Amino acid sequence: MQAFAETWEGQGDMRPRMRRTFVAVTTLSALGVAWFVLTTETGLISSGRFPDPAATWAAMRQLAGPGYAGSTLVVHVAQSLKLVLGGFLFASALGVSVGLLMGWNRKAEALINPVFLLLRPIPPLAWIPLAILWLGLGDAAKIMVIVIAAFVPSVINTSTGVRTIDPTIVEAARMLGTPHWRYMSEVLVPASLPAIFTGLRLSLQAAWTTLVAAELVGALAGIGLVLNVAQQDIYPAMILSAMFVVGVLGWLMTLLLGLVESYALGWRTA
Amino acid sequence: MGSICFDKVDKVFGAGSGVLKALEDINLIVADKEFVAIVGPSGCGKTTCLRMVAGFEAPSAGTISVDGKVIIAPGPDRAVVFQQFALFPWKTVRGNIEMGLRNKNMPRAQRAPLVEGALKLMNLESHAEAFPHQLSGGMQQRVAIARAYVLDPAVLLMDEPFGALDAQTRVVMQEELVRLARLNPRTVLFITHSVEEAVYLADRVAIMSRRPGRIKGIVDIKAVRLAEQWDKSERIEDVMERESFVHLRSNIWKSLREEK
Amino acid sequence: MEPRLQPLETIAYGAIGLVTFFAIWTIVVLSGAVPHTFLPLPTAILTRFTFLLTHSFAGATLPQHLLASIDRYLGGFLLAALVGVPLGLLMGWFRWLDDILSPIFDGLRFIAPIAWVPFAALWFGTGYGGPIMIIFAGAFSPCLINAHRGARFVNASLTEAASMLGTGHFRTITEVLLPASLPSIVAGLRVAAGLGWQSLVGAELIVAANGIGYMMVQGQANLQTSTVMAGMVSIGLVGFGMDRLLRLAERAVGKRLGRPA
Repeated sequence: MQAFAETWEGQGDMRPRMRRTFVAVTTLSALGVAWFVLTTETGLISSGRFPDPAATWAAMRQLAGPGYAGSTLVVHVAQSLKLVLGGFLFASALGVSVGLLMGWNRKAEALINPVFLLLRPIPPLAWIPLAILWLGLGDAAKIMVIVIAAFVPSVINTSTGVRTIDPTIVEAARMLGTPHWRYMSEVLVPASLPAIFTGLRLSLQAAWTTLVAAELVGALAGIGLVLNVAQQDIYPAMILSAMFVVGVLGWLMTLLLGLVESYALGWRTA
Repeated sequence: MGSICFDKVDKVFGAGSGVLKALEDINLIVADKEFVAIVGPSGCGKTTCLRMVAGFEAPSAGTISVDGKVIIAPGPDRAVVFQQFALFPWKTVRGNIEMGLRNKNMPRAQRAPLVEGALKLMNLESHAEAFPHQLSGGMQQRVAIARAYVLDPAVLLMDEPFGALDAQTRVVMQEELVRLARLNPRTVLFITHSVEEAVYLADRVAIMSRRPGRIKGIVDIKAVRLAEQWDKSERIEDVMERESFVHLRSNIWKSLREEK
Repeated sequence: MEPRLQPLETIAYGAIGLVTFFAIWTIVVLSGAVPHTFLPLPTAILTRFTFLLTHSFAGATLPQHLLASIDRYLGGFLLAALVGVPLGLLMGWFRWLDDILSPIFDGLRFIAPIAWVPFAALWFGTGYGGPIMIIFAGAFSPCLINAHRGARFVNASLTEAASMLGTGHFRTITEVLLPASLPSIVAGLRVAAGLGWQSLVGAELIVAANGIGYMMVQGQANLQTSTVMAGMVSIGLVGFGMDRLLRLAERAVGKRLGRPA
């Protein structure tokens, strides 16, 4: 009992971060064991509903090696990433510019805002049938819906960022006689940067969700197509593998954006 | 050069039924290199006076001029030190101080010695490359003062500059400001609600009444200070214990008290 | 910074913007640059919309499709709120629960909700259960995260005051944490409502035999652009209406708790 209490104390003394990592690793391992026990060992969950670890591993190797749904993993991933990154970069560049304009110029805002309000309640996924009708099942339709999905959060957050700039910072800039273009580049944009990055993160998320959905509806390659074909083949191990890839790619892109953000916002309070 | 002149200035906020008369018939002349403090109950419009000199707001009637030129817009000839510092958080200390000089299109070679001088003046040399959030409140306000001083402005406008600082830092900054005023005298308009601070720092103290704000009296401090040789004392508490200081302080305090 | 516009100016500029938008649309169609089947006139969409209100397309009228969608949507959204909010509060109060569950949710967060479609269809079918699971996948995160954050950032002096008064766990959660984090929770519900609605539309595009998304897919298959766009209009209207309702709730909560909206 005494020994138990001591180890417990010891754990309490661990740094919070270490303790969290420890618990996280334990939880995820326990989940892995539970998966194995529920499927392979006892068969409580039938393999027709959820795959066991061995089948999943086999499906992943199949996806990576010989390929599935027409191509190998590398081709599917390259196709999806090409579309999502291209669409995201284009849409966010456009969105941030429009957002800056709307935040900076009240007339521009009054002009654009009602059209924006009209289109905004339509979720990006609802554009998919129209995009297919207009542009078919190829890349163009996907880029169209990604751009629509990623554009909106960039605009909203950028213009809010510009609007909510600290008024004394604006006054300090005026007092120092800051010319227009320098005010834009050295005061307005940096001040709105935290909000702009919030918008970019939401844009990236929306772009990724929309692309996966668009590929699920119809595509010639891409990770969404893998999900679609696996569903039609009733191949749970492949469904799980594809979901895993969707998650890892989503995580990697968010991580990358986070790195850019912490680099760009190095001046901010931690 | 730098004298400020308020000529029959009124300031009204709002319109229609929500109209609010903030300032009424303000007449005040701040001479070149003179340090004038304005004290008054909160909401009496003393900050509005300063903001109008800065050019952030325009008088509803009357004019405000600096060196005879009527003010129409903000500009680096009237440097402001804000209560909340208003440093650019994404610029280093050096970047903040340099901003106004760059806006004057001053070449780099000419800027460098001025920035170094301002850093030295405020004892900031070792923090030149730090970002504002890495500094204490007192240090941040030093940067803001350096940013204002480096512009070599005709007048310096300080809006409760030490209001956001803790008591100890505040005293250090007050002493620092007196040191600056001797080293490098400027025309200063200083807003505060601390009577002690006003009497310690200023040549003259203007007392304002409650809304609508008017100047109800001006107290000359400089004559007493020179006669009593306050400047011989290094530390603030040595001045504050003097009978002449206590006398001035209580007079102003009583006058303010009537406004509550 | 530019001066604010007068209210009349705002309306005038807004009207100019809208008129320009619809004028360009109409001119593009009337000039024959784009065929009508590709992009119908705004009026044609309105006509189609009113036609669908009373006439059946893809097995049901527009209101019937919408009702089927809203039925599923409410099921999924309520489930997400009823599981997500209490779980978030519990995780905000019991540190050990947070430590155990956070890594799991952190992992799941990066899977786009729509990627659950195949499993949802496999486990719960394509009628009612499957779409509900997709809505749940979309709406759950914001419910959980906002309740969790709200509870985690409740002023420590409130929980300390509660424990000083000898308040138990259950009562601390229901009578201190819940009301204190209500603004955050309602904000989360609003985000969840939007994401859930969009997930539903996605789910119906892929698997469903009725509902507004299904109607649009059928419109697309029959090359009826006006039906697809009428569907988009109704999705937008419902989404807008729900957002307004939750915004009112947000404001009411803010007012009740004495905070500026």
